[in-house]
Amino acid sequence: MDLVIALSPLLAVGFGGLMLMLAEAFGKPSEEGISKTTGDVVDAGAGRGAELGLGASVVLIAGAVMAVGVWIVGPETLEGVADVAPYLLIDRFSLFFTFVLCLGGAFTALLGGGYLPEHRIDRSEFFPLVLFSTFGAIALAMSGDLLSLFVGLETMSLGVYCLIGLRRGSARATEAALKYFLLGSFAAALTLFGAALLYGATGHTDLVGIGEAVATIGQPDSTVAAMPVLLALALTLAGLGFKVAAVPFHQWTPDAYEGAPTPATAFMAAVVKTAAFAILLRVLLVGFGEERLMSWGTGWPPVIATLAVLSMTVGNVVAGRQESVKRMLAYSSIAHAGVALVGVAATIRSTEDATASVLFYLLVYTVSTAGAFGALILCGSRGAEAVSYEDLAGIAKRHPAAALAFSLFLLSLAGFPPTAGFFGKLYVFQSAIDSELYVLVIIGLVNSLIGAYYYVRVMVYMYMREPVPGAPVAKPMSSGMVTSAIVLAALLVLGLGILPGVSLDMAIAAAARGG
Amino acid sequence: MFDLYLPMFLMFAIAAGVAAGMFSLGQFVGKNPQSAEKLTPFECGNDTEGAGNVRLSVKFYLTAILFVVFDIEVVFIYPWAALFKGLGWVGFASMLMFVVALLVALVYCWKKGALEWEK
Amino acid sequence: MGALLGNVLEHYVMLAGVLFTIGAVGFLVRRNVLVQLMSIELMLNAVNLAFVAYNRVHGDDMNGHMFVFFIIAVAAAEVAVGLAIVLSFYRLTGSVHSDDADALKG
Repeated sequence: MDLVIALSPLLAVGFGGLMLMLAEAFGKPSEEGISKTTGDVVDAGAGRGAELGLGASVVLIAGAVMAVGVWIVGPETLEGVADVAPYLLIDRFSLFFTFVLCLGGAFTALLGGGYLPEHRIDRSEFFPLVLFSTFGAIALAMSGDLLSLFVGLETMSLGVYCLIGLRRGSARATEAALKYFLLGSFAAALTLFGAALLYGATGHTDLVGIGEAVATIGQPDSTVAAMPVLLALALTLAGLGFKVAAVPFHQWTPDAYEGAPTPATAFMAAVVKTAAFAILLRVLLVGFGEERLMSWGTGWPPVIATLAVLSMTVGNVVAGRQESVKRMLAYSSIAHAGVALVGVAATIRSTEDATASVLFYLLVYTVSTAGAFGALILCGSRGAEAVSYEDLAGIAKRHPAAALAFSLFLLSLAGFPPTAGFFGKLYVFQSAIDSELYVLVIIGLVNSLIGAYYYVRVMVYMYMREPVPGAPVAKPMSSGMVTSAIVLAALLVLGLGILPGVSLDMAIAAAARGG
Repeated sequence: MFDLYLPMFLMFAIAAGVAAGMFSLGQFVGKNPQSAEKLTPFECGNDTEGAGNVRLSVKFYLTAILFVVFDIEVVFIYPWAALFKGLGWVGFASMLMFVVALLVALVYCWKKGALEWEK
Repeated sequence: MGALLGNVLEHYVMLAGVLFTIGAVGFLVRRNVLVQLMSIELMLNAVNLAFVAYNRVHGDDMNGHMFVFFIIAVAAAEVAVGLAIVLSFYRLTGSVHSDDADALKG
């Protein structure tokens, strides 16, 4: 029974997904759905995006609440948790991530519930897919074994491939799905070969066992060879680098983000990236947390630092040159992965503080980026979707609330006080200073300045530009679900910005258990 | 170790050599007249009909892929069946959940009409 | 299990490495999406081979075999999704070459 309580967030999302799938298959197409479509193929369940989206978001918010509940009860007091270890680790680290992932999934479901009916994408399987993908993401964040890592990673990714390719009639969406699928499968295969090498070298597939075996390298009676372990580390980093979209493994990102339906883009930016960071932290700190591997001269920190510098710089510089806001947000998500990687690199000295700063940053980033994509959705409607900067010209006059919310999320992404993004960046850079990574901090600060340029540029277009006469402009849509998602995200952005203490304490507690 | 496989490698080498030799011999020694008659595809002596690439209905793809996905799940059921006694009720409950999940997927395919051949 | 096995293990792992490399190179060099899918399958099967071979050495647990079961099942699901995407790409563009996936740029 304890085990059921401990696993309740995961079980809720999984069973919720199955139920929603049945509801989608058995449901009658609503009258509205038929009349809106052009009369061609109407699947059962088609055109019921709003209802199913509401259902999915309720399930996901329930999952988040359950994660909070297990947190309050205390996962260490629950017996039976050891039965599923190391495949699923129920500790404060995974509960923190479960909460963030459920939150990101719920935002996606709410945005999808507004976006799909508005744009006549009669594919209600979007919502079961979001639930299954979130299920995989939670399993990934909980996994303490290479086996569950692989299964979780693939469950999450397969759902996302389908989410991107949802609009089957659109060449761009299909192309985005194809690119993401090919590169994602390739990355998964790389990670797997790394897993095989690790198993061969250490005889373990659980991260703790791998960590202990790796620690014996170099001792006279050790049977573990260093070479395959290092190769495995490189392959694993490359595979997870694809998922977090770190430069140079980022080529798929802008295309996949641009071609996907916007709620799916929000899902990739928020949930997939967060889950990949969760497992990256766990693999690096538990599996490769040995002293020599965590030192600057002989281990992974310089690699992570290089990835961080490249991601921040390339992400920000290229984002500034984009004409499409959606693409700009894609590159900005690469830059944000870079900042989070600074925090990962900072784990070399003050391990727990740095881990906590990454956790807090990911929470803040999830809320801000989901909100930004939500505001982008709200600014557009069928046939007049907001894509480029020009589309957004003068939107503040036509829809002041949407423009205000968008500005708030952009300020948070840029890291201005008093939004949450400011504290997220502050804590990451603070922990980097504690670890004496001054160069990384300076590069990060310079990049924040570059980033501010293109975030503010969106606001300039929204508030100070008039649309070119005759040019197509975005017409704002009205949707209760999108609005409620944005309000929720805005409250969180402001709340985390004004009172960061509580959630930071939680992040520190999570880091203490998991790191 | 190597001795054990030497005959096999020799056989591979000879086989490859014979095959390559036959082809190149035909290429170099034989005459190679090209005529319209000779360039037509040979189909048991009959005249050829229709396009070479017959388009198969996409139904085949859907059915085949569903078959593969469901078929492959037996890799989990087989070890469970082999160790049935040892795994006990925990194993049974786990497998039950797995089968229920599969069943939901099957019902979904059915309701969506993916299993209907004639439509 | 003696010295013979140790020797043989090395060969198996080398074979797995070679297959994996062939798959990876094939994925990067070829532009036909179907061939790229096959290359990924080759890579996954190379991993399977490595796992099974290593399991002989770490024979006490069955982790290697278990891993292979999961890889086989997940690979099937991956191919199902992949082929569906390729099929809808082919319907829209009439091509299965990844070079033709060039509508998105920047």
